[in-house]
Amino acid sequence: MADAASSGPTNVIVAGLLDSEVSRVEQLSGGASSATYAVDAVRADGSAWPLILQCAATGSVPEGGLPRADQARLQQLAFASGLPVAEVVRVLAPEDGLGEGFIMARLPGEALASKWLKLPEYGPARAVLTGQCAKVLAGLHRLPIAAADGIKLPAGSTAELLARMFANYRRFGVDSPAFDLAFAWLRERVEDRPATAIVHGDFRSGNFLVAHEGLVAVLDWELAHLGEPHEDLGWLCCNSWRFGVWDRPVGGFGQRDELYAAYEAAGGGAVDRTRAHLWEVFGTLKWGIACLQLGDDHVSGRLRNVERAAIGRRVSEVELDLMHMLKFGSV
Amino acid sequence: MAEQIEATTLIEAVQLFLSELEPELNGRRAFHAKVAQNALAIVARELAQRPQVREQALLAGVLGQDAPLDRLRADLCSQLRAGTIRVETPGLVDALLAAAQGKCAVDNPRYSTFKRLQD
Repeated sequence: MADAASSGPTNVIVAGLLDSEVSRVEQLSGGASSATYAVDAVRADGSAWPLILQCAATGSVPEGGLPRADQARLQQLAFASGLPVAEVVRVLAPEDGLGEGFIMARLPGEALASKWLKLPEYGPARAVLTGQCAKVLAGLHRLPIAAADGIKLPAGSTAELLARMFANYRRFGVDSPAFDLAFAWLRERVEDRPATAIVHGDFRSGNFLVAHEGLVAVLDWELAHLGEPHEDLGWLCCNSWRFGVWDRPVGGFGQRDELYAAYEAAGGGAVDRTRAHLWEVFGTLKWGIACLQLGDDHVSGRLRNVERAAIGRRVSEVELDLMHMLKFGSV
Repeated sequence: MAEQIEATTLIEAVQLFLSELEPELNGRRAFHAKVAQNALAIVARELAQRPQVREQALLAGVLGQDAPLDRLRADLCSQLRAGTIRVETPGLVDALLAAAQGKCAVDNPRYSTFKRLQD
């Protein structure tokens, strides 16, 4: 099956994986680290079976990324717990010849945040999204860690995560005084809290599937890990995912107070605002280092193209956000 | 005019070429053509604004020493790692904020935080 890897998944290959008819396999504009395909299959009863196939792509795997089989199992756990996620229908095996990956339900909705944050028909969704996000996070963080037994989730205390992020930053040999200042600021303030919950790790506007009425599904579970619940709250509020709507810090659609209150009301535990802010700084810095990593795809020759090179210049947006936070207390 | 064709003229010419090419491209290639035009716009702004000159002066002020920018950045970073310069160090936050503004003015002047600070 070496051919499958070089030519990519075809109708025949995917039909074999699903043991059903397949009329279309089309590559969608993929994420940074995985190739995504739309699959039109047919169920045994003849009804349409819209699916998504996700498998490995060239380029970097995000630091700390989950193996896709584990990602699929975690997504199943979330699905079984009643959280809005796409149901996984098939996990790829090595003998399938497509690398690591899985096939899941293709749900209707808009994944491009730049669209659902701006278009008037998504107004009703934007009005309820903050509460819905709070409920999803509360539900996820309430799951006992033991529920993920057997899933290889990375774990780390807050200080360990910070140390890992610093080591990652230093790999690129870049000296950014704004980044180093943010690291120093965080080191002085981080309380070394143990990992107490399953956190999504990439819970932001760009990873939501949204219909006119509200949230359909939370996507991209590959950065999930065991950590501190405030991490997801902080990451959701980073300016990088507000798509210009900076005065709605929750993903470009909501206010922090509303998010925290709804999170507590949904049983997510008490929110410590100082700690949530600390994770916003942490998250902003983390995105900056991801920009360095994507830029390094080009510089190192791993994946040379103009998009990766240009993303490297987004570091200055992050430096500006960090300095704004350190100067004015928030962004 | 020192030259008939300045570096900025070449940038404009390549931008024109890319925009002519765009209708013939689709998908990933069309997207990359757009990114390429943005990248050239960054180069043009960097040539015009030379943010490194300002950053060099700002960092030299914080460190109290004159040196090339790369040297100053490396020195400041190692002092921040060692804790000999801290967030409380007078002038540091303002200098790094100004340097970040100068860089963002080149890389993405439409960025929300940059625009906020302009107002």
